[in-house]
Amino acid sequence: MPAIAAPILTVDQLTVRRGSRTAVHNVSFSLPAGQDMAIVGPNGAGKSTLVQAILGLLPYHSGEVRLFGQHSDAQSAPLLRQDVAYLPQNFLADARIPMTVMELVGLGWDRLGLQLPWVGWRDRRNAVREALAQVEASHLHNQSLSSLSGGEMKRVLLAYCLVRPRKLLVLDEAPAGLDVNGEAEFYALLNHLKQDQGWSILQISHDLEMVRANCDCVLCLNQQLLKQGSPEEVLHPDILNAVYGVGFAL
Amino acid sequence: MDIDWQNFVQLLQLPFMQRAMLGGVLLGTTGGLLGSLTVLRQLSFFGDALGHSALLGISLGVVLGISPNVILIPFLVGFAIAITILLEKTRLWNDALLNIVYSASLALSIIILSFVKEYQGGLNQLLFGDILAIRPGDLVFNGMLLASCVVYLGLTLRTQMLLTVNESLAKVRGVAIARQRLAFVVLLSLVVAVAIKSVGVLLVSAFIVIPACTARLVSQRFSVYVVLSALCGGGCAISGVLISALFDLPSGPTIVMTQFCLFLVAMVFPKGEAIAT
Repeated sequence: MPAIAAPILTVDQLTVRRGSRTAVHNVSFSLPAGQDMAIVGPNGAGKSTLVQAILGLLPYHSGEVRLFGQHSDAQSAPLLRQDVAYLPQNFLADARIPMTVMELVGLGWDRLGLQLPWVGWRDRRNAVREALAQVEASHLHNQSLSSLSGGEMKRVLLAYCLVRPRKLLVLDEAPAGLDVNGEAEFYALLNHLKQDQGWSILQISHDLEMVRANCDCVLCLNQQLLKQGSPEEVLHPDILNAVYGVGFAL
Repeated sequence: MDIDWQNFVQLLQLPFMQRAMLGGVLLGTTGGLLGSLTVLRQLSFFGDALGHSALLGISLGVVLGISPNVILIPFLVGFAIAITILLEKTRLWNDALLNIVYSASLALSIIILSFVKEYQGGLNQLLFGDILAIRPGDLVFNGMLLASCVVYLGLTLRTQMLLTVNESLAKVRGVAIARQRLAFVVLLSLVVAVAIKSVGVLLVSAFIVIPACTARLVSQRFSVYVVLSALCGGGCAISGVLISALFDLPSGPTIVMTQFCLFLVAMVFPKGEAIAT
């Protein structure tokens, strides 16, 4: 019998409120190491809220989040989150901010804290070049952020996530805006990260075909957890009909 | 206009003039350094609001019999922290809220001053400043303030960059946003409090905003931008003091006009690619 990998992330009876409204109610799941988990559900189901609460961007009302086996609270979270890479849903770089692709990706490499800005610049430069090459964006390295297209920005942000090895990658509808080839390359890269580098991935997605083809497990959310399991179990017509409406099928 | 060069050279040898030049460089560099982040975080109006609220601190000092020099720094630091909390707690636009705060503080200070029969504090000096009145003690404080800003920004530059680009990315990486914001506004309020003495309430925000905007026009890299902003601030300050001495003009406004002229030059600079890469 194969050994079950210890969970990278455990969420236990998590409830998150936005104002007086309960956006996520009593959700529990765990993400084993080296797995790619997708969260699916209709608009307003609480997917982004759940992820933001896990990452500490939103406070939660009750429940518990454990990252890498440790309770994630106000004190421990900053240290634990150093091993988490996050790609937000709508990242818009303000064109007025003077920053090049090299500089942004380099920020992903840095351990944030008190340090002289030139410490480790050679290692940072090499890591940035490697990360940009991984996402096939080497040609963009000297470009300013304001000159990038939406697809190019996605690649650069992914390089920002990859530039330093981490344990967990959290994506909020990350491939949105990529063309068909770009999306396929994006998922191929995620598979490479998972299989060759042992990353765990938690991603929100509306692309159920891609989820079925690429993810190991799926959470179906609509304020509360409706179903969790393999893509075949969760993306079943009966469940999808119940969540998205009658007549929905993959 | 005839220029009396001999008089100008003699003027440069006077201690008050040398203090003004050194003070200008220290203040201008500090303003440019902090201004670079202030502008990018769309807090330009914050410096203006702090400058105008200084009047309230001074009026309270007059009523309570405390010297403006003593009350200004603690008042502005406290005021800056209060505004920061207010900005976080409300859902209003930053510029609208800052406008409300500075209008109210200005109105209150005028009401308070109306109760004071005789005000000898030199309202003109407060409004327009006097860089030639800088004392040796001020220079020491200004130097320490610049050193603090350089150390703070130098050691946290990467964090500041990420915070400026996207707060969510910074928070996920474990950056204590509130603590960073607090440290920044405290430093900014100290710079404003010190600069008011030299350039006055009405022009203080120029020290924060103009060098940063000039630097932005000619730079595409963040680190280059921050350094250029500091250099513009320091360079314009000493140039302004020298020009004011040469043509017998008021120092504070001349520094601001020097900043403005450099800004106009930067406007026609070919999009900054040369410095950027």
